[in-house]
Amino acid sequence: MRHAILCLALILVGGSAQAQDFEKTLKGLRDQFTAPAPESAKPESASPSIPTFGDVPEADEIKLGQQIAGNLLDAAPLVEDPALQRYVNRVGRWVASQSERPGLPWTFGVIDSSDINAFAAPGGYIFVTKGLYKLLRDEAELAGVLAHEVAHVVRAHHLKLIQQGQLISAGAGLLKQMLGGADERLQKLIGSGAEIVARSLDKTAEFEADRMGVVLATRAGYDSFGLPSVLQVIGHLSVESGAVALLFKTHPHPDERLAKLGEAMGNRFDAITDGRSLPERLQKIPR
Amino acid sequence: MKWIRASVMALGLLSIAAVAQESGVVLKDDVLRAEPFADAKTIGNIAKGAQVGILKKTGGWYQVRAGKTQGWVRMLSIRRGEATKADVGKEAGDLAALSSGRGGTGQIVSTTGIRGLSEEELKGAKFNEAQLRKAQSFAVSQADGQDFAAKAKLKVRKFDYLPEPAN
Repeated sequence: MRHAILCLALILVGGSAQAQDFEKTLKGLRDQFTAPAPESAKPESASPSIPTFGDVPEADEIKLGQQIAGNLLDAAPLVEDPALQRYVNRVGRWVASQSERPGLPWTFGVIDSSDINAFAAPGGYIFVTKGLYKLLRDEAELAGVLAHEVAHVVRAHHLKLIQQGQLISAGAGLLKQMLGGADERLQKLIGSGAEIVARSLDKTAEFEADRMGVVLATRAGYDSFGLPSVLQVIGHLSVESGAVALLFKTHPHPDERLAKLGEAMGNRFDAITDGRSLPERLQKIPR
Repeated sequence: MKWIRASVMALGLLSIAAVAQESGVVLKDDVLRAEPFADAKTIGNIAKGAQVGILKKTGGWYQVRAGKTQGWVRMLSIRRGEATKADVGKEAGDLAALSSGRGGTGQIVSTTGIRGLSEEELKGAKFNEAQLRKAQSFAVSQADGQDFAAKAKLKVRKFDYLPEPAN
């Protein structure tokens, strides 16, 4: 739990990349909280052997992700199917290995919910709902969906969201929180339960994850159009099903995502003719 | 023979509305090409919002029928599914929302027994260590992922991330 304090301290230290992001809006607030931090907490003095992302040590990022994953799995537990779970981990790990962060403790899972959605938590915890999994027609589509979530982790989109929330609530008794119980402190960073996964990221973050997702799947040798194919199916189902309500609330409409992706992909993938779809290898899911 | 083909085509056009999985809506103005290649001959144009019949898929291309013309268009210029059917579905969803009394609240609306993962459920969740451990027990090593990829002859290829489109 010492890590959580360190993490908070780092967020509050001025001059870090993260703080600069919010400098404009939070300048006054930040100045108020630029309390002297222990030498060891300053990013510049961090040992080069400790991997960090932005100003958050990787170990803290993973701990946060575990907390979020543990909460999400309480709301929707893993589907009882070891072969399926192992399968998504193999595909996911292979895709994540094509990213800039291959060494994270990447953990993938299919969770028991008829909702159509997928979630990423910091540190490499990624879950696809049974509802979404059932829509998939081949392994390239699974790879595309997982790759979009891997991109969120690689770019630390949710971590930034957490940091932002923490900075904004700094005026509202953050110091008091820091004096609270250890587990509470970690939980308070992420809000109530697993609500963090239901929070919307910036639209640009979603478009970025789409662009990175098709590239990661392509690098992994899959058909580049797995993710777009899934978006097309979801766009088609959208208005007919309550199962996409949360997805639609937190993401731009699939049509908009497809249009953006189309612009970004252009003719860049025309030369690739041997990407694999692997419909026969997609693990079937029980009713 | 020609006559039969023409009438089959006409029937096909008439039945587009009934076969949802074979139709699509054009997302942006684009050209129809004779072959599924960027440098193939242009044989027509399709306008945003138009409805097309999807005949088959090859790589990033759909073969579509737009009016009397048949050709290939970039997959990402098309959304599968059909406007009219979707509209009907929307109405049904709205009705369900009204009857469940949760329509205007911005809450998750369920239809036909599908229960969404609601924000309330997520908020109320407590840390479940047993489930987390279980999830972690299924994680695999990088080497394991690599072996699994090799079994399907998946080969790594170099590919740069895509720049953000201009607008």
